Amino acid sequence: MGSLSGALGIALGGMEVSRGAVEVTSNNIANVNTAGYSREQVNLLENAPVEVGNLLFGTGVSLGQTTSVRDGLLEQRLDQENQSASQLNSFLGPMNQVQSLFNETAGSGLQSLLTAFFNSLTQLATQPSNVSYRQGVLTAGQNLASAIRQDSSNLQSLQGNTDLSVVQSVSQVNQLSQQIASLNVQISGLESVGQDAGAFLDQRTQLVRQLSGLIDISETSAGNGSLTIATTGGTPLVDSGQSFALSTKVNPNNTYHDVFSNAVDIASSITGGSLGGLLQARDQAIPGVLNQLDTLAYNLETSFNTQSRAGFDANGNAGVNFFTQPASVSGAASSIAVAISDPNLVAASSDGSVGSNGNAEALANLQTQKIVSGQTPYDYYSNLVFQIGNQVSQAQSEQTAVGLVQKQLADQRGAISAVSLDEEAVNLIRYQSAYEASANVVNVVNHLLTTTINMTTG
Amino acid sequence: MSVRINPDPAPDLLAAIASNRLAQNTALQQISTGQVVNQLSDNPAAASQDVLIHVQNNQDDQFLKNISALQSQGQTIDSTLSSVVQAVTQAISLGVEGANGTLSDSNRQAVALQLTGIRDQVLGLANQTYQGNYVFSGTATSTQPFVLDATQPDGVKYNGNTDVNSIEITSGQTIPINLPGSQIFTNPSGDLLGALNGLITALQNNSGLPAANTNLDKAFTQLTTQRVFYGNTLQQLQSSQTYLNSDKLQLATQANSLVGADLATSITNLEQANTATNAILSATNQILTTLNLLNYLK
Repeated sequence: MGSLSGALGIALGGMEVSRGAVEVTSNNIANVNTAGYSREQVNLLENAPVEVGNLLFGTGVSLGQTTSVRDGLLEQRLDQENQSASQLNSFLGPMNQVQSLFNETAGSGLQSLLTAFFNSLTQLATQPSNVSYRQGVLTAGQNLASAIRQDSSNLQSLQGNTDLSVVQSVSQVNQLSQQIASLNVQISGLESVGQDAGAFLDQRTQLVRQLSGLIDISETSAGNGSLTIATTGGTPLVDSGQSFALSTKVNPNNTYHDVFSNAVDIASSITGGSLGGLLQARDQAIPGVLNQLDTLAYNLETSFNTQSRAGFDANGNAGVNFFTQPASVSGAASSIAVAISDPNLVAASSDGSVGSNGNAEALANLQTQKIVSGQTPYDYYSNLVFQIGNQVSQAQSEQTAVGLVQKQLADQRGAISAVSLDEEAVNLIRYQSAYEASANVVNVVNHLLTTTINMTTG
Repeated sequence: MSVRINPDPAPDLLAAIASNRLAQNTALQQISTGQVVNQLSDNPAAASQDVLIHVQNNQDDQFLKNISALQSQGQTIDSTLSSVVQAVTQAISLGVEGANGTLSDSNRQAVALQLTGIRDQVLGLANQTYQGNYVFSGTATSTQPFVLDATQPDGVKYNGNTDVNSIEITSGQTIPINLPGSQIFTNPSGDLLGALNGLITALQNNSGLPAANTNLDKAFTQLTTQRVFYGNTLQQLQSSQTYLNSDKLQLATQANSLVGADLATSITNLEQANTATNAILSATNQILTTLNLLNYLK
């Protein structure tokens, strides 16, 4: 047969459990806007009954470990999408600036200067002895050369800025890896003694999310609550309590930083996160545009010079190079310049007479000849414009698609882990009622005890 | 158990607001620039095609300027040759008059003198310049093409060359724009200056007049034949000008269909984006300020 003191104990336990549950609810409500917070759930455990005679009596309730409600796989999917989103975002930053340099739709770019240059030659062909027309060719050539040099210099500056961001990102990766490693230690310590490490797990999830925004990673559970993280290329970043720092070193060939892990250059294996996007822009996309600009400049210069040398200047002398002769394709855009300053040296004549326009026409005709990698200068340039626009457009489309997936996953995560104030209010009312009920039980038992005591004194 | 939904609508609301703001900006930009392609990435293929249209348009502009300059030059030459024709016509009459057997010696000398004046006039016209350049000296435009030279069989020396300048007047169409003076004034098939000199000498010597007149007739025929070249050139320039003007219109239409904005559509898009933005802002306000159960706790 149960005792009054037993009932009192059960009621007290009930009050304690309700108080604890209210605390958990309060914590959930307090963290309603905390990024990465996963709501905690109260686990109420029925106490083991006691056997009195042939009867079993319940012994109340106790508070089990609270559990954070999260879906580990969903978090990993979010990390993956985050690295794609960051990669595209970091790629688009510099590439948007590249497309602004060649934004023909807004009037910037080389088309008008390229056309003006060749037009100056057709104008000269109408009156080859006209000194102002000759000067016009020089000026148009200088304007074109200056614009190509400026574009090349801007592209290199963009590469340089992107390189700075690479160095900063690597330093952030190292910082995050260290923090994750130390959280691994705390989490495995707590879990080994059966404690809930929810708050630390939330912190680690947030840090891993940030890390995935910097570099493409793959995560595996080490079993003791620890997380092992490596790049998708296999470079270890975190193993339990240990982190492995990446380093950067200037590549003497291009003066940009390579990314090393244990003295191995891993830059080419980084494909995701902002580092992936920055490296893609710095090492592939921008050099691709620079190379095409170099090719255009080189072929324009060499073809023009060859044709110039085939003609005669206004003094009847054999033509000289119009542009400075480039040493190689690489760097041609950054060094393109008009080599002559005397308008009479423009080789417009094909027979040595000042009035001959044969070579001016031949020079002008270069615009319709396939002198740049099997294409006319205009076709080649228009193709360059297309390629730049297409790279940005593709990345933007991917960005939109990744954004939609991220939104869906975030909604799914929210449905599982986010705090609902309505839900917490319901819990609060339930625990309040339970607390009040247990308190009333204490009152009743107290009353019964008083009655019992009074029986003995009466 | 009911399905748990994401209790936090804020990120979705913010994304919807951002998306509508973007639509507003895009429509506004299209209206202000009159173009639907404002960045290469808006439509890379159209942007790339637009480059080539602009190239062609700029080339057309230059061709038109060049044609205008060539027309002025061509008209000057044509009018010079017209003066030559008039002078030679007069010379032919004088030649016929001089060949009349009833003419006294002194009258013949007077005709010869008149003809000398005409020869000098034709010589002056053959040394015509346009903007400081001799137009009948081939490509040696700084060299005076014709000088009288008694050592030459026809009494005239041609110092120009026989080169011809050709010029592109529309994409892919190149025409010759000059004739060497030797072909017009000292052509072996009809040597105009030589014939004039011959006629003067014949009159002065009163011998060989019929032959001299025949030579001048031949030279006149040759002159008018050669003059046709400049008439044709002017016609070709005129028809190219017409073609280029219509080509420019065509290019403008093409560019507009590629990158031009339909203002009505853009304005409608802007209105829609404005309405949608207002709606989402109002909805955001309502959703985020909706009471939850906690507000009812006492």
